[in-house]
Amino acid sequence: MSKNTPTLKAAPRERLGSRYAKRLRTSGKLPAVLYGHGTAPMSITLDEKETVTSLKTGAHVVKLAMEGGSTETCLVKDLQFGWLGDNVIHVDLARVDLDEVVTVKVRLQFVGTPESAKKPGAVLTHDVTELEIECKVRDIPEEIRVDLGGITADVYTVGEFKLADGLKAVTDPHAALSRVVTIAEEAEGEAAAPTAGAEPEVLTAKKDKEGEAGAAPAAGAKAAAPAKEAKKG
Amino acid sequence: MSMMPKRVKFRKQQRGKMKGNATRGNYVSYGDYGLQSLETHWLSARQIDAGRIAAQHFLRRQGKLFIRVFPDKPISKKPLETRMGTGKADVDFWAARIKPGTVLFEIAGVPEELAKQAFARIAHKMPVKCRFVGRRIAV
Repeated sequence: MSKNTPTLKAAPRERLGSRYAKRLRTSGKLPAVLYGHGTAPMSITLDEKETVTSLKTGAHVVKLAMEGGSTETCLVKDLQFGWLGDNVIHVDLARVDLDEVVTVKVRLQFVGTPESAKKPGAVLTHDVTELEIECKVRDIPEEIRVDLGGITADVYTVGEFKLADGLKAVTDPHAALSRVVTIAEEAEGEAAAPTAGAEPEVLTAKKDKEGEAGAAPAAGAKAAAPAKEAKKG
Repeated sequence: MSMMPKRVKFRKQQRGKMKGNATRGNYVSYGDYGLQSLETHWLSARQIDAGRIAAQHFLRRQGKLFIRVFPDKPISKKPLETRMGTGKADVDFWAARIKPGTVLFEIAGVPEELAKQAFARIAHKMPVKCRFVGRRIAV
C-alpha cells in the first residue's frame, strides 16, 4: 500500500439499473459497488476523474469518504471496461482490513537493458507485464521495479526475481519477466507473393475410389459449367 | 505466402452477419501498444500482409510485431461476365472478420513514439478507421 492512500468521495446510489448508470457516467460519475466482510452490498457513486487517476497511478487500496462522514478502506477488486475495452465503466470495491492477506496483480516497472538486448536485431520483450502477488493489504506496492541491467541470460523468469519481504509471487515461476528475441532479417519479397492455387486441406472432402482428395471432382464440375453456359447461349 | 488456414472443415462458407462490437480480442494483450479497429469489415489476408510489411520495413528489426487477427473465412466471388447460377463460386480470398474494438496489431519493445509512427503506416493500409491504444489498467 502506498504511503498516500487516495481518498475518494462516495455517495450511495439510490436508483439502480443500466439506464441510470449511463446517466451517471454522462455527468462525470462512476457507478461502483462496495461489498465484503459479511455486510450487505452497497451501490455507490464515485467521481470518475479522481477514481481513474488513482487507478492509473497503480492504487489498489482506496479510502472511501462516504457522504455521512464515515470512511471505509477498500480494495479494488474488479473493473469493467466499455465497448472499446479501455474506459472504466464500473468498479468493484471490497471492504478489507489492513492486515488481511489478499492476492492482487501489480504492474511491473522495468528498468535497464540486459546485455544480450544490446546486440543488433535483438528485441527485449516482456511476457509478463503484471505480477500476481499474495501479501497483506498494507504491503501492496503500487508497482514492482524490476532491474534488468545486470541480467546476462536471454530469459529472466519470475522464479529468479527476488521480491521484497512480505510479498509472495503467485504467478507461474517459469513465466518470463523479460525475454530477448533476435528478429531475423526479412528476405526481400518474402510472404509478399501468395502461392497461386494454394488451398487448405478440406476435412470433409469426398474421396474417390483411388483415395484422392475431392479436388478432382470439383475441378471437373468447374470445367463442365462453362460448357453448360455455352449450350444455354 | 499469404495467411490462410492449413485445414478447414468445409471449402466454402456463407457470408454471415457482422453486427455489434468486439467482445473478445478488444484490448492489448501481448505487446505494449496496439492498433484497434473502429469499424466493421472483412480484412483480407493481403491487407493484413500489407500492414505487416509496412510496419516491419519501418521498424527495421527494432520491435516485435504481433498480428492479432487471422483470415479464416473463405470469401467466394464469381468471375466477371458469368451468368448467374451453376452453384457457389470459387474462393477468391481469405478474410478476417473485424468488428469495432478488435485489436489488429500489437507492438512490443519499442518506445511509444516509434510505435505510433509504425501504426500510422499500418493504418494507411487498413480499410477501416483505426486508433492507437495502450495497455489497460490492471487490478
